[in-house]
Amino acid sequence: MGYVFQFGVVWEHLPELLAGALLTLRLSVGAFVLGLLLAVLLTYARGYGSRAVRGPVVAYIEFMRNTPLLVQLFVLYFSLPAIGVRLGANQAALLGLALNFAAYGAEILRGGMQAVPVGQIEAANALGLRRWRVFRHVVLMPALRVAYPALASQFVLMMLGSSVVSAISATDLTAVTNTLQSTTFRGFEFYFVATGIYLAMALAARAGLDVAYRWLFPPLLRLRSA
Amino acid sequence: MERRNLLAGGGAAGFLFAAATGPASAQTPGLSTLDRIQRDKKVRITAEVDSPPFGIIGSDGQPDGSEIATARQLAKDLGAELEFVQVSATQRIPALLAGRADIAVSSLSITTDRAKTVAFCAPHGALSIVICGPKKTAIAGPADMAGKRIALTRATLEEATVPKAAPKGTELVFFDDIGPTIQALLSGQVDAAGMSAFAAKSVADRNPDAGIEVKFTVTTAYYGAAVRQADESLRHWIDTWVFVNTHNGVLAAIYEKYTGVKLPPLPTI
Repeated sequence: MGYVFQFGVVWEHLPELLAGALLTLRLSVGAFVLGLLLAVLLTYARGYGSRAVRGPVVAYIEFMRNTPLLVQLFVLYFSLPAIGVRLGANQAALLGLALNFAAYGAEILRGGMQAVPVGQIEAANALGLRRWRVFRHVVLMPALRVAYPALASQFVLMMLGSSVVSAISATDLTAVTNTLQSTTFRGFEFYFVATGIYLAMALAARAGLDVAYRWLFPPLLRLRSA
Repeated sequence: MERRNLLAGGGAAGFLFAAATGPASAQTPGLSTLDRIQRDKKVRITAEVDSPPFGIIGSDGQPDGSEIATARQLAKDLGAELEFVQVSATQRIPALLAGRADIAVSSLSITTDRAKTVAFCAPHGALSIVICGPKKTAIAGPADMAGKRIALTRATLEEATVPKAAPKGTELVFFDDIGPTIQALLSGQVDAAGMSAFAAKSVADRNPDAGIEVKFTVTTAYYGAAVRQADESLRHWIDTWVFVNTHNGVLAAIYEKYTGVKLPPLPTI
């Protein structure tokens, strides 16, 4: 069909694309930190809470994991003004991503916790450690070590999935790309470059998380050949 | 400035290259899109179905609206079977350029910027862009938009015109489709929104409690069908079609039926 690529216009708008990429990164990291904190609380509540607490926690986790992120963002962004809260699109996006990530994080942490031997918890209880300290030192940290690769993977998934926040007018990389392609009509060029930026961010995130893993969780013991 | 010239030169070279390779019909060299439509008796036209009154999904689940009716009439007069290529507002031009559709009939306003990538046919309709909002939003003219949050839809005429009219301090937010733009207006996430006068009327009529009213008219524009730059013969056929159907009243009838407004006199391109 004889389409002629013209990348010149993309380089002219590179600063805007990079600003969008930076917001994508900030939203993802922010949502990861907030979401992980909330995930730990959810996991604690699910592990130690009464039945009245566990029910809503499980309901929350299953609701968030089984409804589309886009719909969750729409509900958050469009329904909050009804109760007098008018968040900016970027704040709503951060909140939505964090609430969504918390549910996945809690489920991943649960998997990690199940890998903690019961005897280890019993030993900690027998030593008279307080419940929160048992959770923190004996359950959570070993669980995080086991769950870390899955959490890192989920982080990258969320970063790539965060492109849907453009639907509520947040100004992330996808939103900037859409605006630029619709004003310059160079859709192919902008989408190619945006894809490249996402790819670079995802690879960098994986590499960074890998380094962090080895720093946070050094090997417990090295297996030597007998 | 020097860099810009270099880029412009590159662009010109690109167009020369495109011209040299000709209207590259991938399948059969030398066969124009118009020839192909007549040979295969099949034409693919874009359908944007979330843009009342131009395109909607009717109560029977089929596309409906003024542009849909226009596309149907166009296909009928081409003697070809019509295949709708469903697109969002942002995908109207990319779908055409990617070869997914032969003709874009999706209320594309004729602008010089767009004409750099697609070729426009003579206009077959007109629309006004207005700023609308609830009664409590005090906007009487462009200057009053300062300090207000205004919703716009990407890849629309309002995106191309409202930012130029907006004074410093206006907070413009962009959505991919008219749906979220309207939702943002109704939910109070924004103080006002820019959209076509028809869309504003439709929103106001369907949500009487919201008290949506037109604040001021930003611009009036004409829209027409668009084809790929290389499809000269197809563009010429559509121009002729618009000429004939302007005079026999078919276009006016379609426009009035869906917009409830009389079709203003159409200039030629």
